[in-house]
Amino acid sequence: MKLLKNIDKKTFIAIGVLLVVLSIVPHLAKLSTITLMSRIFILAVYAMSYDILRGYTGFINLGHALFFGSGAYIGGILFTKIDNTMGVFVLAVIITVIYCSLAAYIMGKIVLRGGGVIAAAMITLALGEIARNTAERWRSVTMGADGLPFKIPDIFRDRLGFYYYALIFLIIMTIILRQFILSPTGRVLMAIRENEQRATFLGYNTSKYKLIGLQVAGITSGLSGVMFGILNRFANTDLLSVQQTLNALLITLVGGTGTLYGAIVGSAFVNTVQNYLLDLRSVHPIFERWLLFFGAMYVVVVLFMPEGFVGLWNKYLKDRRTKKNSRVFEKGL
Amino acid sequence: MADTLIQTENLSISFGAHKAVNNVSISLEKGLFTTILGPNGAGKTTLFNLISGLLKPTEGKIYFKGTDITGLSPIERVKMGMGRSFQLTNVFSRLTTFENVRLSIQAHQEVGYKMFTDYRKFKSLNDKTHEILEEVLLKDKKDFLAGELSHGEQRKLELGMVLALQPEVLLLDEPTAGMSIEEVPTMIDILNKTKEKGTTIILIEHKMDMVKALSDKLIIIVNGAKLVEGDPEEVSQNPEVLKAYLGGGVLNEPTT
Repeated sequence: MKLLKNIDKKTFIAIGVLLVVLSIVPHLAKLSTITLMSRIFILAVYAMSYDILRGYTGFINLGHALFFGSGAYIGGILFTKIDNTMGVFVLAVIITVIYCSLAAYIMGKIVLRGGGVIAAAMITLALGEIARNTAERWRSVTMGADGLPFKIPDIFRDRLGFYYYALIFLIIMTIILRQFILSPTGRVLMAIRENEQRATFLGYNTSKYKLIGLQVAGITSGLSGVMFGILNRFANTDLLSVQQTLNALLITLVGGTGTLYGAIVGSAFVNTVQNYLLDLRSVHPIFERWLLFFGAMYVVVVLFMPEGFVGLWNKYLKDRRTKKNSRVFEKGL
Repeated sequence: MADTLIQTENLSISFGAHKAVNNVSISLEKGLFTTILGPNGAGKTTLFNLISGLLKPTEGKIYFKGTDITGLSPIERVKMGMGRSFQLTNVFSRLTTFENVRLSIQAHQEVGYKMFTDYRKFKSLNDKTHEILEEVLLKDKKDFLAGELSHGEQRKLELGMVLALQPEVLLLDEPTAGMSIEEVPTMIDILNKTKEKGTTIILIEHKMDMVKALSDKLIIIVNGAKLVEGDPEEVSQNPEVLKAYLGGGVLNEPTT
């Protein structure tokens, strides 16, 4: 309840309406739409985890898919090797949290030793590729490049049911990450993004804070990976690739970097457009090359709204507020 | 003589063949307002960078409160009670003025790595932030982004951020650089109040009226080396200083 105090009434109503709509829609929609929406929710969490790094800490991680893919593989491997029950699911979540925080710790220790943003980005890229290659070679466990299909717990089998789990997952992770951003630690991350040298001279141990940011983002990303694996009932090395990291980057770009909610909007937009373009393949063969149009969309977005959807919206709100204020001011005169 | 707070011993740093700071041994006393003066490129800011830990000296030692801090990081030096401001404005420009100062206080109060408590709930931090903002006359600007403030206001914010650390010694690198003449008196006023509270202030400055009004001690640095130090009146009469610093002019000439 404390949480709700910080949100004004209008926003509260808007979120309430949105939630009601989101819980009714799947009963009216096609199965493919339900799956698409579950996908949107899960990738939104993944993109939010990326936004914590890029948008709030100012750290470009090109190996971020390492956590996402690992989550999917940990789920898949455990379901295959042990059993597809709820107990194993809980175990998978616990192992993912431990694994991702450890991986993030190691990654951080290597990357945050100094050097610039670009050097750090390159090292993360290399680390991500190491993870992907390992998964590809370790055939006995991961089935290599063929990918790993697996059975999931019965409770997740129903697409409609899983839709709600994905939605709940998104809500919980949004609340947790929002709290993190609003915490003293989250504020320091923003200070580091703005000016790391100044943060050091206020007495903040900036590498320690960045390490915490990386761990939070890594764990979140890993958990969304577990959910994504369950959605597809399949894990492959693509989930560990740079391509997957770039997906998160592009989603946050479209939605708005450094806004957290931008990741949700971006995920909805990107996945819907992607789905729509794929459907068009049956209309005209040129849409077999749908990536062309997809790329063009990004160019348009970056050119015309560099701050993304949420950035644009915030700007609109700000302009309106200034106008209102100046009107009040004129009246006062 | 008062206790020595910061002491440097044969402090030197070279960038290639250029010796930016050359064998500087100074002691800065507690409670004294010391001003470091010197022509452009004399090495004043480099000396600050050495004392605050941004640069590591090639030779020599630095003592703070009697401990050797030559090998310590800036973070550890801040924790020991050393605060510095920068010559070029160095604030968090996309955060609000309030947040800039609040972060500074948060650093000082050692809130720790709390991850899930709302930052707005730390009432004492917020109250303290309001106090500091009042002190540096930025109260009505608290919700503005730091990047939207005028240059002079950013300088005041910068000072506020250092004051919020409640340092024992304040290293100020030209706090009035680029400020308009009308704004300088308010800055002097703020510094005077800080001095009265017992904070030791070390200042790098060009503006003579400011130096005269505030300093207890002057140190003149020329070409990376200490030329002379002592009482402001005494030093300003020293012919060597007049020659080196003002090219033979008079120190009392009206400020530009």
